[in-house]
Amino acid sequence: MTATVSTASPARKKSSALTWAAWLGMVPFLVFGLAFEFLPLLTVIRSSLLSKGVPTLEFYRQALDPLYLRSFGNSLKLSATTAGLGVIFGTLVAYAIITTKNQFVQNALTALSDVTTNFGGAPLAFAFIVILGSTGVITLLLKEIGIYLYPNFRIYSISGLTVAYLYFQLPLMILLIIPSLHGLKREWREAALNLGASTSRYWLEIALPILLPALMSGFLLLFANSFGAYATAWTLTGSDVDLITIRIAALIRGEVQLAPELADALSIMSLLIMTACVIGYLRLSTLSRQARQ
Amino acid sequence: MKSTANLWRPVILGAFLIFMVVPVIATLVFSVSTRWDRSLWPEGYTLRWWSQVTSSPLFLLTLKNSFIASLATMFCLLVLVTPTAYWMKLKVPQAKTIVEIITTFSFGVPGVVLALALIRFYSKVPLPIINRPTILVAACMVLSLPFMYRPIVNALEAIDFRVLTEAAQSLGANGWAVLSEVIVPNIMPGIVNGCLLVFSTVFAEYTLTNLLVGTRFKTFPIYLVEWTRQDGRQASALAVVSFVVAWIVSLLIIWVTSKGGRETTHAVGR
Repeated sequence: MTATVSTASPARKKSSALTWAAWLGMVPFLVFGLAFEFLPLLTVIRSSLLSKGVPTLEFYRQALDPLYLRSFGNSLKLSATTAGLGVIFGTLVAYAIITTKNQFVQNALTALSDVTTNFGGAPLAFAFIVILGSTGVITLLLKEIGIYLYPNFRIYSISGLTVAYLYFQLPLMILLIIPSLHGLKREWREAALNLGASTSRYWLEIALPILLPALMSGFLLLFANSFGAYATAWTLTGSDVDLITIRIAALIRGEVQLAPELADALSIMSLLIMTACVIGYLRLSTLSRQARQ
Repeated sequence: MKSTANLWRPVILGAFLIFMVVPVIATLVFSVSTRWDRSLWPEGYTLRWWSQVTSSPLFLLTLKNSFIASLATMFCLLVLVTPTAYWMKLKVPQAKTIVEIITTFSFGVPGVVLALALIRFYSKVPLPIINRPTILVAACMVLSLPFMYRPIVNALEAIDFRVLTEAAQSLGANGWAVLSEVIVPNIMPGIVNGCLLVFSTVFAEYTLTNLLVGTRFKTFPIYLVEWTRQDGRQASALAVVSFVVAWIVSLLIIWVTSKGGRETTHAVGR
């Protein structure tokens, strides 16, 4: 479609005509981006800022209603919790994986992370109902030994979602952090210990600062990953859990009769949160990649 | 000291393994149990739920629809991304920033927002794609674009595409021939890897499908969620099918990447 290679002259004359011809080859891709990403998004931005053709911030004012602020709060809390737990346990598991001497265990667990990080959505949500629902296997098992999960914990609630989200957050963190952990040189540790530092001091003062950009970028990506998630929450809880993506989806399906512009404003606000996270992630991960080289 | 230093590792790895494996195994066992909601172990085993669920015409139809959506997305992305990535690398390196913005768009945009934006825009534009599988495929292309783009660009960077191009041209090959007969065979592992990642992403897609086409084009995940609201035992059989498809594709990816250069790309945003 785009690869009409112009007569390749070894002379590298970059005439502007040639550059223009070269840009022509990019047209299909740019048109795709325009048609299915930027124009639709601009429509939403525009509509969120216009009321009957007049510019207004009215819909953003409505979007800051306590009702929606609560949804944002829940989404932010869920994302922060699962990202935080994901970073901590993911790093721990990743460290255990890369320091295992058994090559088979190392490969198998890395492969497991590779596979499961792409899991999610409906089947995952259902699997958690099977084990942690009110009559789930783990629920029954714990009851047997005298631990009653219900009614304090419910899989169909935010606490349940936290557990389910960790199922894809953990492997994602493991895969993100493994390259950085490999970057920690054995000699640094030996040098620190030889100079009289304790293991904990080595971790706190040497390893952690080196890992910090990678940990922070991991946190941001996991945060965005959880903030934008919808299918898992919807399958597990229907509209019971008050997350912002659930609310926007309900507005799209027309379950709630409200000004469509309100959905636009809520969308743009969640978009800003998620985009900020992803840009932060990209910046920090470039930093930590450079530090590794 | 020594013993505790050695003990923490198996404990952590064991806990991780249990957390990752138990949900899948339990779903499988649940799907072949007569009842498993009163006792610690299933009360009996049966294949009834499997035969019920697979004998429904909707089972094959939704499976087929998911395959169609996945393959269509895969094919369209292949045709769009491969020439573009090659051409950009060869002739227009200045385009890299804008191309990467378009590529990573779906990382920064929640699925529900993408769906809303497409609905808003295409209900105003006089193009007959709203509510149709076409819009779903377009949306899935946006969603899985990074998974096709990354492996292909990585593969391109790993070969000397400039030298290959000049060599082919000096032998008289024209643009298309260079791409299809010289470049593509050389970046095949990247292409296959990209295709598999796109396939597994789209096959499991729920959010965009639900909001863009809903019941008008029922895919497998839509069918599965319907069952989770009706009968858990049949839903568990469907969940197992999804897991199996995801595992097969992932294992294929691992196999392909272990043969070519290793690069990982991950689905983000569920």
